[in-house]
Amino acid sequence: MADESIKNGVLDILADLTGSDDVKKDLDMNLFETGLLDSMGTVQLLLELQSQYGVDAPVSEFDRKEWDTPNKIIAKVEQAQ
Amino acid sequence: MIDNVITAIDRVAAEHPTRVAYDYEGKQYTYAQLKDGSDRLAGFFAETLPDGQPIIVYGGQTFDMVEVFLGLSKSGHAYIPIDTHSPNERITQVQDVAHAPAVIEVAPLPITVPDVQIIKAPELHDAEQTHEPIHSLQHAVAGDDNYYIIFTSGTTGKPKGVQISHENLLSYVNWNISDFGLQEGVVSMSQPPYSFDLSVMDLYPTLVLGGTLKALPKEVTDNFKDLFATLPKLGLSEWVSTPSFVEIALLDPNFKQENYPNLTHFLFCGEELVNKTAQELITRFPKATVYNTYGPTEATVAVTGMAITQEIVDQYPRLPIGYAKPDTDIFIVDEQGNQVSPDTEGELMIVGPSVSKGYLNNPDKTAKAFFKVGNHRGYRSGDLATMTTDGMIFYRGRTDFQVKLHGYRIELEDVDHNLNQVSYIKQASTVPRYDKDHKVAQLIAFAVAKPNDFDSDMKLTQAVKTELGKMVMEYMIPQRIIYRDQLPLTANGKVDRKALIAEVNH
Repeated sequence: MADESIKNGVLDILADLTGSDDVKKDLDMNLFETGLLDSMGTVQLLLELQSQYGVDAPVSEFDRKEWDTPNKIIAKVEQAQ
Repeated sequence: MIDNVITAIDRVAAEHPTRVAYDYEGKQYTYAQLKDGSDRLAGFFAETLPDGQPIIVYGGQTFDMVEVFLGLSKSGHAYIPIDTHSPNERITQVQDVAHAPAVIEVAPLPITVPDVQIIKAPELHDAEQTHEPIHSLQHAVAGDDNYYIIFTSGTTGKPKGVQISHENLLSYVNWNISDFGLQEGVVSMSQPPYSFDLSVMDLYPTLVLGGTLKALPKEVTDNFKDLFATLPKLGLSEWVSTPSFVEIALLDPNFKQENYPNLTHFLFCGEELVNKTAQELITRFPKATVYNTYGPTEATVAVTGMAITQEIVDQYPRLPIGYAKPDTDIFIVDEQGNQVSPDTEGELMIVGPSVSKGYLNNPDKTAKAFFKVGNHRGYRSGDLATMTTDGMIFYRGRTDFQVKLHGYRIELEDVDHNLNQVSYIKQASTVPRYDKDHKVAQLIAFAVAKPNDFDSDMKLTQAVKTELGKMVMEYMIPQRIIYRDQLPLTANGKVDRKALIAEVNH
């Protein structure tokens, strides 16, 4: 899968979950500090990434600091491919 | 059975002074400390606070909060808990209704509350250590006196303060400790914030049983790595949460009996427990019993409950909420108020000793929702339900536009009312989007915007959310806002919310 399609796919998931297209404009925006993602949103995100990209991120090792911007999440998905 | 919540907790302190009452991330507080601190605080409160008035207590998931609650109970004051994760406007809205003479800052207030006595943390700590203890429990909260007042969403942007008396609380606690088979010395999780009445399900039953409350503050639950590092170390025997929260825990395959050898009780309330979640828990925790309960804040935490066994899971795709607690009468009525025949849908009515006397300083709303049957108080729940001939009850939805999102009760009219105050909004109507388990997954607002200079809807939405966030709790902010030139209307000229609900749930 080309990187661009991963990037757009992840951004679509984030836009759908947060209900905001801002995530596509500022890829370094902090999703937790801005209140766009909460615990339940995070759960949905992990489930979507697993079903669409096979990303197997154990929830017990999920550290917010490593997943707090669109760019970091895209990098995680790319690593997992 | 206990006959008084306050003296039952003091009795534990007398019999087992070194037992741990509260554990905050490894910092432990004994029952002796709880008794000594609350006695001294009560002495201080009796001197400094006007008699019998309710007092606002602001703070998070800490021992000091519990100690202040008990100190206030002993000095004859009801407490109004406000959690630190509330928006500033919430504090003002609560005070506008409550007119409390004082606010106790267990944590520092983020805003100034005018014309009120403020008791700051250093003063509190000083009193807790050195003040003369209260002489007797003669003026302690008892009988029909308010024990706590918890605020819930109202329909007009004004929150409603549900007054729970000592008698209400006693009825609830006695049922909780007898019918769920909880043992003395239970170790329970204290996760729901104290401003949410689900927290009462862990707080008082645990303390009267001489058990230990293990605090799980929001800072820990928010970061899953911390949450899953902390959870297995707590040594829990009882789990109390919303179904949504245990669903997060179930994402971790290590959340199973062998890593939680003492965990024998799961108690759920606040939203629908779905079959899949119950099945997963029964499979992973063979030594535990899963209890489903139901109840509005107005009838003290919960009024129905039952163990969800494998047989129940197999038999009912949509799980029952249980049977009425023994001292309470529950019946189902049609729109004319007549009792319906078994298995017929109608509104669930609650009559019994745990039903509140009503909303603080709000006689209109109290008269609409509460009634009297002889000497007993009754409450119209607004919940749709069916009941079998032997009294097993099934939840079916709401009669109005109240929804539960992750356990939090939200009146959609309340969200609308606040959205309409936002400077960029002309008119708005908020609707729930449901997932396949009939649970609310998101709130979506349809709005007509006023003319504005934003170059995109996205920027407008950001500005709307920011402004709204100053007025309402975080969970009340719609995830999405969809802009329209006008909203659909019913034949009566009201916004057609049902049409909008249908639109987002096709």
